[in-house]
Amino acid sequence: MTTKYAETEPRQDAVKHVGRPVDRVDGRAKTTGEARYAAEHRYPGMAHAALVHATVARGRIEAVDTEAARAVPGVIEVLTHENAPAMKPAPKTSLMNLSSLASGTTVSYLATDEVHWNGQPVAVVVAETPETARHAASLVRVAYRELPAVVDFAAEEPNASPQKSSVLQPAGGDKGDAVAALAAAPVSVDLRFTTPPEHHNAMEPHATIAVWDGDRLTVHEGTQNIAWLRAHLAQRFGIPERAVRVLSPYVGGGFGGKGFVWAGTLLAVLAARATARPVRLALTREGVYRTVGGRTPTVQRVALGADGDGDLTALIHTSVAMTARIGGMPEGVVSSSRHLYDAATIHLRQRLVRLDLLANTAMRAPGDSVGSFALESAMDELACELGIDPIELRRRNEPERNPMDGKRFTHRMLREAYEVGAERFGWRERDPRPGSMRDGRWLVGMGVATAYHPSLTMPADVTVRLAADGAVVVRCALQEIGVGAATVQAQITADELGVPLEAVRVEIGDSELPAGPGAGGSAQTAGAAAGVLDACRKLKESALALARRAPDSPLRGRRLDDLEARDGGLYHGGRGETYAAILARAGRDHLEAGGGTGMLKFLAKTLNERRRWVKAASGAHFCEVRVDRDTGEVRVSRWLGMFDVGRVINAKTAAGQLRGGIVMGIGMALTEATQVDPRTGRIMNPSLSEYHVPVHADIPRIDVHWLDEPDPTMPLGLLGIGEVGITGVAAAVANAVRHATGKRVLDLPITLDKLL
Amino acid sequence: MDFLRPTTWEEALAAKADRPEAVPIQGGTDVMVELNFDVRRPAALLDLGQVAELRAWGMVGGFCRVGAGVPYTTIIEELGGPLPGLAQASRTVGSPQIRNRGSVGGNLGAASPAGDSHPPLLAADAVVEVESRDRGVRMVPATAFYLGVKRSALEPDELIRAVHVRPATGPQYFSKVGTRNAMVIAVCSFAIALHPGERRVGTGLGSAAPTPRRAYEAEELLARELDWQAPLDPALLRRFGELCAAAAAPIDDVRGTAAYRVHAIGVMARRTLTWAWNDHLGRRAA
Ligand SMILES: Cc1cc2nc3c(=O)[nH]c(=O)nc-3n(C[C@H](O)[C@H](O)[C@H](O)COP(=O)(O)OP(=O)(O)OC[C@H]3O[C@@H](n4cnc5c(N)ncnc54)[C@H](O)[C@@H]3O)c2cc1C
Repeated sequence: MTTKYAETEPRQDAVKHVGRPVDRVDGRAKTTGEARYAAEHRYPGMAHAALVHATVARGRIEAVDTEAARAVPGVIEVLTHENAPAMKPAPKTSLMNLSSLASGTTVSYLATDEVHWNGQPVAVVVAETPETARHAASLVRVAYRELPAVVDFAAEEPNASPQKSSVLQPAGGDKGDAVAALAAAPVSVDLRFTTPPEHHNAMEPHATIAVWDGDRLTVHEGTQNIAWLRAHLAQRFGIPERAVRVLSPYVGGGFGGKGFVWAGTLLAVLAARATARPVRLALTREGVYRTVGGRTPTVQRVALGADGDGDLTALIHTSVAMTARIGGMPEGVVSSSRHLYDAATIHLRQRLVRLDLLANTAMRAPGDSVGSFALESAMDELACELGIDPIELRRRNEPERNPMDGKRFTHRMLREAYEVGAERFGWRERDPRPGSMRDGRWLVGMGVATAYHPSLTMPADVTVRLAADGAVVVRCALQEIGVGAATVQAQITADELGVPLEAVRVEIGDSELPAGPGAGGSAQTAGAAAGVLDACRKLKESALALARRAPDSPLRGRRLDDLEARDGGLYHGGRGETYAAILARAGRDHLEAGGGTGMLKFLAKTLNERRRWVKAASGAHFCEVRVDRDTGEVRVSRWLGMFDVGRVINAKTAAGQLRGGIVMGIGMALTEATQVDPRTGRIMNPSLSEYHVPVHADIPRIDVHWLDEPDPTMPLGLLGIGEVGITGVAAAVANAVRHATGKRVLDLPITLDKLL
Repeated sequence: MDFLRPTTWEEALAAKADRPEAVPIQGGTDVMVELNFDVRRPAALLDLGQVAELRAWGMVGGFCRVGAGVPYTTIIEELGGPLPGLAQASRTVGSPQIRNRGSVGGNLGAASPAGDSHPPLLAADAVVEVESRDRGVRMVPATAFYLGVKRSALEPDELIRAVHVRPATGPQYFSKVGTRNAMVIAVCSFAIALHPGERRVGTGLGSAAPTPRRAYEAEELLARELDWQAPLDPALLRRFGELCAAAAAPIDDVRGTAAYRVHAIGVMARRTLTWAWNDHLGRRAA
């Protein structure tokens, strides 16, 4: 087996482009600055907006003094709840209309005097320049009547209430009596973990340009979900969806922060309507922190019981996370514990507190990234208790079927990932005794943890058009959030049609295109691929139908399944013809086909699949840290991730996604935390100088590899890769720190003072 | 906001005398951040970027006279020999972009307790040359320069002209603990300078009190008890670390706890003295 996976090389079969490290089709545009992001567009007469943020957590506005702001030359309008045009309230959420989930919060901005969080926009200044708008915004004076607010997550923990289950996300569950089994277990650990709130910090701060033309609206915005944004704006502003155009060809990173619709977007559109000017609202970094939700903090308990051999007899994982009174996504914090270990008994619970803070939102691998920290740290601690190698402990408890309900895995190769990864990382050299490995003043530690992220697909409508001159155009409103969305679909199309990669152009990022899936849940590539495969097949069928009508066609009498698409045409062995020849003979200048599934059919299929199978991307992280024995400084010195992500479409962009997830996980492990003032609910570090993401000097070389075994149930066998990389990372670091120092850090981030 | 652009030192002093409320701007890596975040809105900015003298360094009366506008990059590239402590500290500042623009003069002007140039300046007995049009030059020892958090001995009509530092006669070291590897304000920092000719050791603590400061009792201990011929006595080293830690009066903040800072100052004091001592005895640690 080790020989089989000796190198992460593209598979050598019929495929020509899939699997290769193809350069991004938009790489040049991005690196030369030619690519224009939302905030960089200009319109004649365009005005600029800036937000005024509430300075209390909860209350009523008693008075707004806008006089000084209005007096600033260049100020066009100051909108407050006293004069702003009304917006429709946020829609009721319903699974039958997924775009109803798009609301970041349920607040009707500038519609009432109510303040729901410290930072809520309470006024918008529109001016001729961004500087004027910002300056005037600083002059708006707001008087509040403060109301009691619940903002301290830690203090609120005892008041948490059970989270509700949904079709897509069970909130708890039991298998046997885990509490009794834990009490009876010969060996056990019972640990309490905390993780802080975090923010996405995408490179591009959120920006919106809104342009009204009568009752038609054009919006430039970097979004992770064009379809949701469009539907949401139509609903809030009372216009038909077809009257809204969303342009989002480039998105400067999202990580979940651009998946929902937040205040800045709505207020830009509102301001444009109120002033009858195109309006640009580019949030400052601070503005992003104040108006776009981040990751929920969590408190978690993981208790594990095992017999003397390390077979798990009990697994208890419970969590408390937050939502806000004004919205927020309940996270599946304990969800990895449903799938990872074959424990004889399992007890899972998720609880929530509701706070007077900005609604939390999805951030890269919601639930799983924080949940895996607790679960995988606890597994490591159990391995220490048992005196068993942590990989061996995991191997022993690797389930054949999904532990909670016995469903089959479509595909699961964690054993292989650990085996191959351990070999390459040199795990054998690890001396298990804590503090035993040294390099001068540095204590060296090695840790492992499992990565796990469920795979899903979302429906996509795709059209593929093939012209007589060989040019192929694929159209789908995908979001390019930095992942290479257009590039991978071009590769797939080129292979499916048997045409050169350069012949394929993929049009994305525009709501006028056929609707794409959102860039979330690691589901975009698979969803779009299904549509592309479907459309390409239909297109080839039409080509074949044309050919078969001609008496002299070598394809006469052939079925598509017997043919190979290559060299710009369809062939059976050496016999076949090019699309160009087929089209020329038929007197056609192009062929076009559409692919995709409708939403209802898709939902039915998804729910049906969920009843039968469990599928996920997974992997094994191997981490080496150095900890300064005197100062507690932690440096990650080596990293290897061995993943099972099904078939990899592009070796370069895939590696980028997996590495990026690991980098973000290292930030989560060591430096990142949004500091919320427990008295006022105000974020105290809303900037990159005080919220520390890792810098280059913090990140060692990261080796990523994959097993490259297609998943039998996914389009082309691919499993999403955007999120799995971050899961387990914080635990791998914590486990390595434990090995280096003997200290188990239960509270993220692992800062200096926690190691002394 | 007025933007004053003197092109000579005399013009700069005149501008400052006429407009004492004008805020000098050199590299702008502190000033622009403050303007950006609207921490202050001065009536005037006094741009020193055109004053060529400030960007030069030279030897004056046996001292290295480093112009207030000399960027960190130049200190790293040209002054590593005579001013090793300051050059080491300069290497840890921000990022390449910040080191290209940021200056020691700006670091002094900002007078943040976390500024990285302060500990090596203190340890090396630096003197700050300040000047005003009407009262001329004052030579202010670094120890008398820092008055409080972001407050210095500079008068409203004065500008910083240069720092004077005697070229190193013995080993110097700088050590900094941060929450990450670059682009980070020190959780705390420490500098040491050996002055073998005077049988004396200088120290500087950063981010460990309202102002950068020296650990006088620790320095006195070494002046009394250090045997300059012999290997370092472990007991003496320990006491030195304790006294340096005792000189700290830090606070808890988002970057670290007070207790951690006190501990880390002790560690860095022992560590830098050990490094310096190994150099002194001519057997530098690997
Ligand atoms: C991203 C980033 C990272 C940073 N990292 C670090 C770091 O690691 N360590 C560190 O110590 N600092 C750091 N800083 C702060 C800053 O770079 C330093 O303090 C630098 O030394 C300031 O120099 P400057 O020339 O840019 O000063 P400026 O911003 O131009 O001025 C700073 C202050 O000094 C005053 N001033 C400047 N010149 C004179 C003069 N000749 N006479 C009188 N007053 C004067 C100004 O009025 C102002 O109050 C960082 C800043 C940023 C933005």
